[in-house]
Amino acid sequence: MNLVQARRQSWNIGIVVLVLILGFWRINQLPQFGSYEARTFILGILPIALLSMGQAVIIIGGGINLAIGAEAVLINCLSAKYMAGTSFTTSVFLAFLFIGIGGLVGAITGWIVSASGIADIVVTLATSFLLVGVAMFVMPQPGGGINQGVADLIGGKDPNFIPPLIWLILPLLIIWIPLYRSRTGIAMYAIGSNKDAAFLSGVNVNRTRIKVYAVGGLFAGLSGVVLTGITLSASPFATISSTATLNSVAGAVLGGVSLAGGVGGLAGPAMAALVLYFIPNIMLASGIDPAYSQIITGALTIFVVLVGGLLRKRTGKT
Amino acid sequence: MSTLKNFATVKVSKSIWALFGILIGLFLLTSFIDPYFFSIPAVGVTLSLAAPLGLLAAGQTICMLTGGIDLSIAMIAAGAAFIVSVKSPSGTATALLWGALFCILVGSINGLAVGLFGMNPLIMTLGMNAVLIGVFTVGVTTFLKGSSSMPEILVTASNATFLFDPFSWPLVIWAVIGGMLLFLLNKTGLGRLIYAIGDNAQAARLAGVKVWQVQWATYVICALLGGIGGVLIGGQSGAVAISLANPFLLPSVAAVVIGGTSIMGGIGNYTGTILGTLILTVLSYLLATINSSEAVKQMIYGAIILTLAWTYSKISQNS
Repeated sequence: MNLVQARRQSWNIGIVVLVLILGFWRINQLPQFGSYEARTFILGILPIALLSMGQAVIIIGGGINLAIGAEAVLINCLSAKYMAGTSFTTSVFLAFLFIGIGGLVGAITGWIVSASGIADIVVTLATSFLLVGVAMFVMPQPGGGINQGVADLIGGKDPNFIPPLIWLILPLLIIWIPLYRSRTGIAMYAIGSNKDAAFLSGVNVNRTRIKVYAVGGLFAGLSGVVLTGITLSASPFATISSTATLNSVAGAVLGGVSLAGGVGGLAGPAMAALVLYFIPNIMLASGIDPAYSQIITGALTIFVVLVGGLLRKRTGKT
Repeated sequence: MSTLKNFATVKVSKSIWALFGILIGLFLLTSFIDPYFFSIPAVGVTLSLAAPLGLLAAGQTICMLTGGIDLSIAMIAAGAAFIVSVKSPSGTATALLWGALFCILVGSINGLAVGLFGMNPLIMTLGMNAVLIGVFTVGVTTFLKGSSSMPEILVTASNATFLFDPFSWPLVIWAVIGGMLLFLLNKTGLGRLIYAIGDNAQAARLAGVKVWQVQWATYVICALLGGIGGVLIGGQSGAVAISLANPFLLPSVAAVVIGGTSIMGGIGNYTGTILGTLILTVLSYLLATINSSEAVKQMIYGAIILTLAWTYSKISQNS
């Protein structure tokens, strides 16, 4: 257990160091660094960081959700459609409603996985089609809008980077930490690392899985609403959803969450989103074709998982 | 072991008949809505359009039988088509050879990473997908500059009728390769080993199987099947682009799942995948016929995959 903890610590430190190196590099490229640039950074990572955190919760619980991008796109479309031209209070109310719907969609996904006994990948592959279809139904064309006051509350007025930073950190404080410390949190790690052992120790596997997927859905819903707040619109495209899903898995894995389940936390994925954001931007500013950043991101993800796997072998946790 | 094998075979054959019934039902329903579909030319076109998906799904089938998955297969397919078209000025055979080399290279990297280094197949192939997108995006303007149209003979081979109507060249290619794959899976040692490591890789290794070599071979074969499928897709659409095969990625997984191959490995067969491919192709024709929006298409697609997979797991739990 100590070895595992030590490995996790070293992983987190590694990610922090990577973020710092890349961050300094990027800041050096800029003519100046002020709150405007900080806001750009945070807005650039916020939706994908939230999505990576949602994916991380589900992977820690022993699942994987290939429909998480579709959930975010659906909530993005719902919120942009119904929040357009509304008053401040209505928009705030709708924001909470849609985040809740995100959680509900997640819970239903978790229930289907539990009730059907089909592999997570297959269920969520199917629901990813379904949810993108619903999103296109809600909003056939890109468009929509949001109350400007609420948008400022999410993205911050121009040089003010505090609101988006709050939206990055607040979910960690009010969703993740209470979950982590609760019985459900322990049950989540238990079913993630060994479902049968958890069941035999009296954990209600199905109920825990539904809760885990629901929390993942909450993060996806939050990501969708935040996206509406940042872009002031929504685009119902399947490619957006699949790219977002892949990035969420990459972010979770890079953030130290083991795909085998039961290992990792949410701070790592949030920082991994920064790494995934800095790389293409640094390359772009250095005059390198940004297409190379795809290669780097892919290779980095592979490399990280490879090293993680080898380390795990050495520390004896198979 | 033999009783277990028989048990699995019985279960599979039962669901094959069910799938066949679904296919016939869908076919009749589509013919009822659009009488033209109940004609030999329409069936011929449908079958030739099903062939590339069938080949990509074939690669996906053997990966899933070992308990893996290949999410880079669409980019491998697009990449192979791309290379063939760029190299086409130096002769079609040379171009095809280059395409095959590319597939073998990418398949080897995937297979060795999964087999030797214990990489999670999902992440490995996802990462490979990103790397390939990057390589080809860069390549278009630098080292892979050139022709973006397929050689004439391959365009013909991807579209032309073979002898007489419902048969087309793509169908023949699919049938020959599909037959070889069925032989490989059912009658050869490698096929047995693919099932064995999908069933229990640990046990297979203790029984003396070189698991990494089997996985290596699996991912190389998968990449080659993807490459052939990609060349057919390129031929059918005339020009190649990086996003050429993207619409085939999730359907290739869906066809295998509908066909009853377990994503955990060890259970399933290519026969099911063939039926899954045909069901998806007829379904997309049906959805196009009733002029449904993209939204309805996606929803029905998702609902069908879910329903079929659910039905399967219930059938296999009960028996």
